Amino acid sequence: MVTGRPPQIVAFGGGGFSMEAGNPLLDDYVLSLAGAERPKVCFVPTASGDADHYVVRFYRTFSTACETSHVSLFRRDRGDGAVEGDLEAHLLTRDVIYVGGGSVVSLLGAWRAHGLDRVLKQAWRRGVILCGLSAGSLCWFQEAVTAFHGAPTVVRGLGLLPHSNCVHYDGEPERREEYRRFVGDGVTPGYAADDGAALHFVGRDLRRVVSSRPHARAFRVEPRGDEVVEQPLAVSYLGDVERDLHAVA
Amino acid sequence: MSIRDALRGAPTIFAMGGGGFTMEPDNPALDDFVLSLVDQPEPRILFLPTASGDPTAQITAFYGRFARRASATHLSLFRRHGSARSLADIVLEQDVVYVGGGSMHNLLAIWRAHELDDLLAEAWRRGIVLAGLSAGAMCWFAGGVTRSGGPLEVIEGLGLLPGSFSVHADGEPERLPVWLTAVRSGELPGGWAADDGVGLLFRGTRMVRVVTSRPGTAALRVDAIGEELVRHRIEPELLGADPSRPPTPAALAVPDEIRELRELRAAMRRG
Repeated sequence: MVTGRPPQIVAFGGGGFSMEAGNPLLDDYVLSLAGAERPKVCFVPTASGDADHYVVRFYRTFSTACETSHVSLFRRDRGDGAVEGDLEAHLLTRDVIYVGGGSVVSLLGAWRAHGLDRVLKQAWRRGVILCGLSAGSLCWFQEAVTAFHGAPTVVRGLGLLPHSNCVHYDGEPERREEYRRFVGDGVTPGYAADDGAALHFVGRDLRRVVSSRPHARAFRVEPRGDEVVEQPLAVSYLGDVERDLHAVA
Repeated sequence: MSIRDALRGAPTIFAMGGGGFTMEPDNPALDDFVLSLVDQPEPRILFLPTASGDPTAQITAFYGRFARRASATHLSLFRRHGSARSLADIVLEQDVVYVGGGSMHNLLAIWRAHELDDLLAEAWRRGIVLAGLSAGAMCWFAGGVTRSGGPLEVIEGLGLLPGSFSVHADGEPERLPVWLTAVRSGELPGGWAADDGVGLLFRGTRMVRVVTSRPGTAALRVDAIGEELVRHRIEPELLGADPSRPPTPAALAVPDEIRELRELRAAMRRG
């Protein structure tokens, strides 16, 4: 199947249905890229161990407006909507593949064991829009900063995007310091995003940064001379600025 | 070396064909047997629910069974626990590591991604008891038969124990022929099959004892000699049947203050 779309990834620093109940801005932005009246969206909750409550929340959020399904690598024979049979054929015919949060190391380990890393690369090349938050953002990059167990550390991602990535940038001050130190020590330069900010890549290049919160930020982090520079990126807030101002006032 | 390290014995694995708190909510015999393998005043037991993706129900059942009997914690590889401690620090201070059932394929892949496979081998060499059921039992052997991906298939394990292991011999009888075929063809080495409720105890790589929580169950030893299979049925000891041998010496000998500490901890967990 040819979608006519270029390869695209929308990487959330945090946010979407699992972190921002009642704020659909980031999820709606992704759906708008699909250009389909009823987009086919498949949820991949591997990083959470296919947590039941997470899968339920996905269906609650998307099943009215989208054709929904999910991939379970732990409970392949249980649950309505779980893909059975040819996973590859199913994923390659979606409009959006939405990857949930959790542990990026567990995510990549399980995907590689099931050959999903290869399938997702293929889906991306064919124009299936890949998106996700947290671990579901980190996984697409060359290198990713994770602080899941113990101190922050750098892991190799799938490498679809030749950059590094750091998520929840506003959440934990030590992550910010560590990320800059890592980049100074030779980790691939890359992008950091706050909760509520999403990096939209077309091909391998950053096209746009959008946000579901008026003050969410994103940064390009790269070495310049002896220093590591954190360059703020222009962020388009997806909500109604006027209305929000009134709401605050 | 700490006193705890000094008290540790030979490398020990307790492999259950099925049973324990996830499968036998009303029968603590196998889990008590696991604790009886530890000669520590306040045994530390760590649950790894990785093979099922850390489901809450399984974790809750673990605390329900062990919180009053031991110092019980679990390690999630999917949810952040907020601790800055390394996996090595967490694993190597335990007396028992207890591995739940689920997908062996996912279990091994995720352990390897976290380098927990090497860490568990190190724990075993140090005398930390490794226990588990189903996928959490087969993983210690050279291989077994899994249904991680739907149909039954042969899978390679970590190989701490040289034989193969097949689980749920009575509960899922379709497994046995797949295992026997694999042993006959040499795809898997000879080894053991165990019914639900049956556990095999290994000291070093030697199988020393077979116990069960259910009467009428058995284990099977199978070897391939040429193309022929040689089968040998093993009658397990029924746990709790001999009153002169209480299954829970550790639990019975708990001093009051430790019992109080456990109750406090359990109450805090319940919030």
